[in-house]
Amino acid sequence: MATAPYNYSYIFKYIIIGDMGVGKSCLLHQFTEKKFMADCPHTIGVEFGTRIMEVSGQKIKLQIWDTAGQERFRAVTRSYYRGAAGALMVYDITRRSTYNHLSSWLTDARNLTNPSTVIILIGNKADLEAQRDVTYEEAKQFAEENGLLFLEASAKTGENVEDAFLEAAKKIYQNIQDGSLDLNAAESGVQHKPSAPQGGRLTSEPQPQREGCGC
Amino acid sequence: MYIYCYHIKRHYVFPRLGLNTNRGTETSIFIQNILFRRLIKVAQVLPHSPSLSGRNHHAILEAAGPSHVAINAISANMDSFARGRTAILKKQPSHMEAAHFGDLGRSSVNYQVQETRSRLSKTVDQILRDNVAMPYFIQFMETHIAEHLVRFWLEAESFRSTTWSRVRAHSLNSVKHSTLAEPAASLESPDSPDSPNDPSRPLTLDQGDEEDTFSSQTSSRPHTPSPQDTNSHTGALIGHRNSVSSEGAARPGTPHLQPSLRSETPTRQPSSRTGTPVKGQSTSGLSDKLMKSIERDAVNIFTKYISPDAARPIPITEQIRNDIVAKICGEDGQVDPNCFVIAQSVVFSIIEEQHFSEFLRSHYFCKYQIEVLTSGSVFLADILFCESALFYFSEYMEKEDAMNVLQFWLAAENFQDQLAAKKGQYDGQEAQNDAMILYDKYFSLQATNPLGFGDSVRMEIESNICREGGPLPDCFNTPLRQAWTTMEKVYMPGFLSSNLYYKYLSDLINSVRVDEFTGGNANTTPEVDRNSSVTEGSQAQQGTKKAAVKILKNFDEAITVDIASLDPESLYQRPYAGRMTFGKVNELGQFIREAEPEPDVKKSKGSMFSQAMKKWVQGNSDEAQEEMAWKIAKMIVNDVMQQGHQGSPEVKATKVHLFLSLHS
Repeated sequence: MATAPYNYSYIFKYIIIGDMGVGKSCLLHQFTEKKFMADCPHTIGVEFGTRIMEVSGQKIKLQIWDTAGQERFRAVTRSYYRGAAGALMVYDITRRSTYNHLSSWLTDARNLTNPSTVIILIGNKADLEAQRDVTYEEAKQFAEENGLLFLEASAKTGENVEDAFLEAAKKIYQNIQDGSLDLNAAESGVQHKPSAPQGGRLTSEPQPQREGCGC
Repeated sequence: MYIYCYHIKRHYVFPRLGLNTNRGTETSIFIQNILFRRLIKVAQVLPHSPSLSGRNHHAILEAAGPSHVAINAISANMDSFARGRTAILKKQPSHMEAAHFGDLGRSSVNYQVQETRSRLSKTVDQILRDNVAMPYFIQFMETHIAEHLVRFWLEAESFRSTTWSRVRAHSLNSVKHSTLAEPAASLESPDSPDSPNDPSRPLTLDQGDEEDTFSSQTSSRPHTPSPQDTNSHTGALIGHRNSVSSEGAARPGTPHLQPSLRSETPTRQPSSRTGTPVKGQSTSGLSDKLMKSIERDAVNIFTKYISPDAARPIPITEQIRNDIVAKICGEDGQVDPNCFVIAQSVVFSIIEEQHFSEFLRSHYFCKYQIEVLTSGSVFLADILFCESALFYFSEYMEKEDAMNVLQFWLAAENFQDQLAAKKGQYDGQEAQNDAMILYDKYFSLQATNPLGFGDSVRMEIESNICREGGPLPDCFNTPLRQAWTTMEKVYMPGFLSSNLYYKYLSDLINSVRVDEFTGGNANTTPEVDRNSSVTEGSQAQQGTKKAAVKILKNFDEAITVDIASLDPESLYQRPYAGRMTFGKVNELGQFIREAEPEPDVKKSKGSMFSQAMKKWVQGNSDEAQEEMAWKIAKMIVNDVMQQGHQGSPEVKATKVHLFLSLHS
């Protein structure tokens, strides 16, 4: 379950936010465990999961903070927004109210994170097409208006779950490469391991290259 | 640390830190210990300061090896880690499974439920009352040309508390000398049975106010001085205080954690009104001398900050200004010690809304954090309640396979916090459901993530949860305390000696460096002439500090030029864009080259140290890592110099020579 240290060059901190019951924990679980939790209890406060991905040839570890959606936990979860490199804002396509509350979540996210934080909008439960309450187009437009990435996904089937995390990671990595994300800024949400040459020296003995890891 | 670790790798072919297995950890930490100790021995050619806790400026100066402090700090952490961890590991089976976490803290101290503060995360109120953070904040505000706001607040606060204290002391004295009242009874005021006038109450409130450096214990009780009460003006004064204190209570943004002085006033209102020590006091008021002195202080502050003719008046309305005038020039000549409180709250709001979040993102705050982190005494609270530190600590805990402990602590703490915030107005059923989720996950016999809590704890939790009316906000205190102690005793020492922590410090320092250069560029005029650094020095209100920074910058640039070709990261950074100077002349008239270090500096004590470092750090490409250690050193000395003497030129010269000699 433990990962071999130093076979990733970056760690990105993510947060997952959104109304209760939209499927944040299930998305995380699907991503880290590749399993769907049919009846998982609601999150108390925050939970935590990690996984290593490959982006542009670089191994990147994602440290994902899954926050509780219940309103009563809103105050305590706010303290975890800070210093996030990426944020997944999730709504449920079968419940319009969760979509309507997005502006409130977005406000929080913008206020409490860095200007360079990458926010991706996720419409979860895409497998329940029959009960769809929010169209793809309108959500896409909302995302574009607000400068967000957008994907519809399903934690149940696994559709687009990897892509959700991956797209955000790509964008963050791109921001690092072109300098718009300052690695030296306090609370950039990125831990940077030393670059390849020294890294190679460290891990000179053969180690199994693990892609996925347990949370 | 990083340097030595890969040296272990190189020379001893051990698994890379082996943080997954305890055996590996133990061994490699052990070796790190040895390397560090050897390093320290070499560095200890000089007298060194035995105290890690304080800033011993002289010792640091004498030592001429500023990184010694950092080394000592990390070494102290390592020592306690080696002792503690080895001891604990010896007690338990060698594998660190969920069931074995030392003694789960059963033997340890109380879990402070109130310990919700990290010294690394600050609110405005905390900063204003923190002596350590204040210099950094003032420096930051200077760059915003707004430091007069802070200074006004500080002076007004100081005026308020000392005035109360003086008035009270005076009234106590007059009470003592009064023929009508006994010393003991006078404070208890037998004539006002309805006043809960106990001197101990304000003290209790003060005890919660740990960082309150601006008011003495005695002064923070606005026990109405008796002479004033007998005065007819008192009614008006109390009326003032009523409105002022209620304003204080209603002031937005008061952090809920720290009982600020202003929010304490309302609770003492009744006592101050009715708790008058004596009646029939013979003295007619405060002595003239005292009154004049207080008035002088008030007028002083007024002239500096409030008067429209002031050099840097604070932005308050005419109405507030008039109100202050009225309070200073009271009818009976007595100044209201709370005369500036309204203005203070206005200034506070401005600071909070316009400047504070930027301060938290600035390199000044980073420098403060670095100071805390390298002080040699970092507490678990500092880590857990600071998001950026928590980021690194979580990674460490995951590598140690101990995420469960942290997860539980976070979840239970959050649960209790949100419950406590409701102040009793919560749905018991809902709370019970939440608590049951935690129970099922961590405590039950079929728990998905068992933590190894004993039966007694489990049963205590069960009864807490099944309490009629739902669980209370202290429901999980016992296991929280145990988890806290486990993290504190078993994991934090290792974390503080780990690469991750070193990386965290380096990242903080890097963010400071880059900001300094870009910030410095924005603020400074082109340094061409000899006097430039002096003029800049005088522009900043503490000249030595800026000049000192310049010296360091020269060194940084000199070193970085060498590194640039080796460190690919610097390709993305452009800290020197626009600076095309060959060198600078510092305030001592020394010309310091930018391009290359002074070639004629021979081996001094400083370079012996760096020789030692080179012994462990071989190869050109290691200069990058070596430089990191130097950065820490420089940061610390920079801070020392900023906070230290502005004194004699010899001292300054010594410091400059130190820096020059450090670089070899």
